[in-house]
Amino acid sequence: MNSIAIRIFWRLLAGVGVLWGAASLTFLAINLSGGDPALAILGGPESMPTPEMIVRVRAEYGLDQPLIVQYGHYIARLAQGDLGESYRLRIPVAQAIGAQIGATVQLSICAALVAVLLSVISAITTAKRSPWVRSLVSGTELVLSSAPSFVIGILLLLVFAFHWHVLPPSGSGSWQSLILPTLALALPLAAVLTQVLRQELEDILDQPFIAMARARGMSETGVRLRHALRHALVPLVTLAGFVFASLLGGAVIVELLFSRQGIGRLMLDAANAKDVPMVLGITLLAAAIYVAVNLVVDLINHWVDPRVKSA
Amino acid sequence: MTLMFLRTALVSTLLALSACSPSTDVPRTDAPSAPVTRAPTTDGIVDGDLISYPASDYHEAGPGKRGGTLRVTTAADTGTFDVHSISHGNVQWLGRVLYDCLVYQDEQGNVSPWLAKSWEVSDDGLTYTFHLREGVTFSDGEPFNAQAVKINLEHMRDPATKSPLAAAYIAPYVQGRVLDEYTFEATLREPYSPFLDVLAQSWLGMISPRQILEAPKSIAEHPVGSGPFVLHSYTRDQGAVFVRREGYDWSPPVTRHRGEAYLDRIELSFVPEAMIRFTSLEAGQSDLTLDAPPQNAKGIRESTALTLRSRIRKGNPFRSLTFNVERAPFDDVRVRRAVAKGIDREGLAWIIGFGEFRPKADFLAANTRYYDPAYKDVLAYDPKAANAALDEAGWSARDAEGYRTRNGQRLGATLVATESPSFSSAVAVAIQADLKKLGFQLRIELLPVAQATDRRYAGDFQIIGGGYWHTNTPDGLYILYHSDSITSEKRIGQNGGRFRDAELDRLLATARRSHDPAQLQPLYSKAQQRLAELVPVVPSFESHVLVAYSKRLAGVIFDTSHNTIFLPSLWLQPEAE
Repeated sequence: MNSIAIRIFWRLLAGVGVLWGAASLTFLAINLSGGDPALAILGGPESMPTPEMIVRVRAEYGLDQPLIVQYGHYIARLAQGDLGESYRLRIPVAQAIGAQIGATVQLSICAALVAVLLSVISAITTAKRSPWVRSLVSGTELVLSSAPSFVIGILLLLVFAFHWHVLPPSGSGSWQSLILPTLALALPLAAVLTQVLRQELEDILDQPFIAMARARGMSETGVRLRHALRHALVPLVTLAGFVFASLLGGAVIVELLFSRQGIGRLMLDAANAKDVPMVLGITLLAAAIYVAVNLVVDLINHWVDPRVKSA
Repeated sequence: MTLMFLRTALVSTLLALSACSPSTDVPRTDAPSAPVTRAPTTDGIVDGDLISYPASDYHEAGPGKRGGTLRVTTAADTGTFDVHSISHGNVQWLGRVLYDCLVYQDEQGNVSPWLAKSWEVSDDGLTYTFHLREGVTFSDGEPFNAQAVKINLEHMRDPATKSPLAAAYIAPYVQGRVLDEYTFEATLREPYSPFLDVLAQSWLGMISPRQILEAPKSIAEHPVGSGPFVLHSYTRDQGAVFVRREGYDWSPPVTRHRGEAYLDRIELSFVPEAMIRFTSLEAGQSDLTLDAPPQNAKGIRESTALTLRSRIRKGNPFRSLTFNVERAPFDDVRVRRAVAKGIDREGLAWIIGFGEFRPKADFLAANTRYYDPAYKDVLAYDPKAANAALDEAGWSARDAEGYRTRNGQRLGATLVATESPSFSSAVAVAIQADLKKLGFQLRIELLPVAQATDRRYAGDFQIIGGGYWHTNTPDGLYILYHSDSITSEKRIGQNGGRFRDAELDRLLATARRSHDPAQLQPLYSKAQQRLAELVPVVPSFESHVLVAYSKRLAGVIFDTSHNTIFLPSLWLQPEAE
């Protein structure tokens, strides 16, 4: 109990360090990329702000101060949990993210569940099967895992939304509108996960304890579900970080394609408009979720497999 | 594990930096360089090179049917409904849904009444007295009156509003006086005849004075206007629902619309992917798209269920190139002229417009007031003349790679450009190929928007690609080419090429002082001639508004200032079945 508390404490401390690093790197990168933020705030290339307005904006956002001072202010405000105000939307970054995060979380969770479910079913049914089943399935996986979500999304749209009219092509209001984006995001992920999972399963199915189970007269399905799967799932948990990264990256594309609201689209618009506080806010959020996911994975691993014990 | 973190941070950062171009609006390659057949282009009456629209495009033919929900798609969210605080193009039609303006242009581009019944301008051009319509209210119950106008003009120029456009358009406005409840007097610093025209633009719509004073930040998401619709709900990056404003009865008289809007609701969806906007229209999942993709124009025109309309925005057409006239080799007008005549605009218009865009070699949009077609061929595509001009400028020798040289120096320049729907890298490469034929070496530097904008305002470039300026008056020429519009310590201006010409300055400044068409016509005509001779930029094609809608949609008329669809007059015909 105590050792776990200490472990969590150190991991959280490391997490804060990671967040600070992410904040600093992004701050530096976006400021070194050039482009006057005052102009970005005042509407970019198709605008004619008056000189008074530019002066006012520089002062209001502290842009008239040296970069290092701006950085200091930024970190100080971050420490108080203040992400600042979006240049483009002129509302607090936290408010903007808060309004969009629900849709992305909903989509990501659904996609993760579908991906895991699909990969488990597919791996269990195809591990150590006849060569032609294997090659058919791995061929499909190869295509799915290498095709971008964009292509898969367009294909899904063409078939289900525009040809058969069974599902809506856009929006994020109803559960029906969630199906296609979920599949577009989940399919490539499921393909990768299946490959890993099947490899694990096949290794495990060669283990002596499986032979023992079979010798006891257990059915093939029982062997696979009750014995092999449990062991094979452990490495899958470790992949959670990868799953998260792929969902986040995919969300940008899928949200755009399916006209869904969400963090991905917010990020894209912010990047295009050089909306520094928004880009920083979303980067930090991503880093924070990543820290949390890895902490949880670490604890689960610790709990599932007590051999994973290091300070 | 830390490494993985860094990677995420990096990925996000890269994502931020690369500013990945999101949409497939633009064909990457393979666009035909020369049109084989000309598809039916632009609406309107084309008479030689003049283009005009029938007056019936701007007013209702008869009353429409009440009821129904219109489903509309557009490419992007404006992010805020405070139209004073943005320069977003969507405001052109969005403004008419939520807000009303003081005045409205008529079919010929004259200023006509709206919330102002009439007005007088003093002889010195400095004082404007507006007589306002009575009985107009905002949707929060506030009355529209002289005080409301004053508060709105203050809000536009208040630095806290951070207005990129409205404030600049009323920059000469010094102060306002409430003469009585329905009489407002505006005083200008200097004569500025476009004042009335710009007041007709959607970016200058009237917002509830109570909201401006009590909760200006709330305008962004909960706007209160006096317009024919009221915002019912809004989900960022997703859509907005507008419902009919009960009791509305003050449409611009030019539109001939009386009373409330016909539609019960307008459901607006932000659909960034061009293909999805087209397909959902085709599948009957939307009734109207305000951003019809040019690549699907042919398909829409061939469809029996859909209508495509292609309209020209007033103001200044698209430029393919802007020269920095302070940098060699473009300090020499002969080189500028040669480049302008060496670029095949038909090809560029095809790459972007798929046969829907009108190529353009002069400086005002063809439907802008005082447009003079007399100089349309001065800069027409003519490689022979372009070569002769370069020979004459002394660039007559050639090096081993075939490029022209003078005193051992190769003729060439670097183009700074940003990938956008109207200026793709395919356009840049097409220009590069055209110029190579002249012996001119064009190097291409593609940059993110923010960096290119910086370089433009700093004058740190030889040529810059893309850009247009839409406004409802020929004063757009002042905004782009007057020496007062050069960016300096004191101001941000749109004259990016730092072009200055005393004679042009005089013509454009004189025009700002006159309200008399008999004076304005020759002034603007001479200004257009001067520009064709001095070539500060290379015009390439008209700036088009492409909309597509279901044949069910009736009452389609267009806004006189922006040539976008005027949504308040639309109605839906009952389903055929």
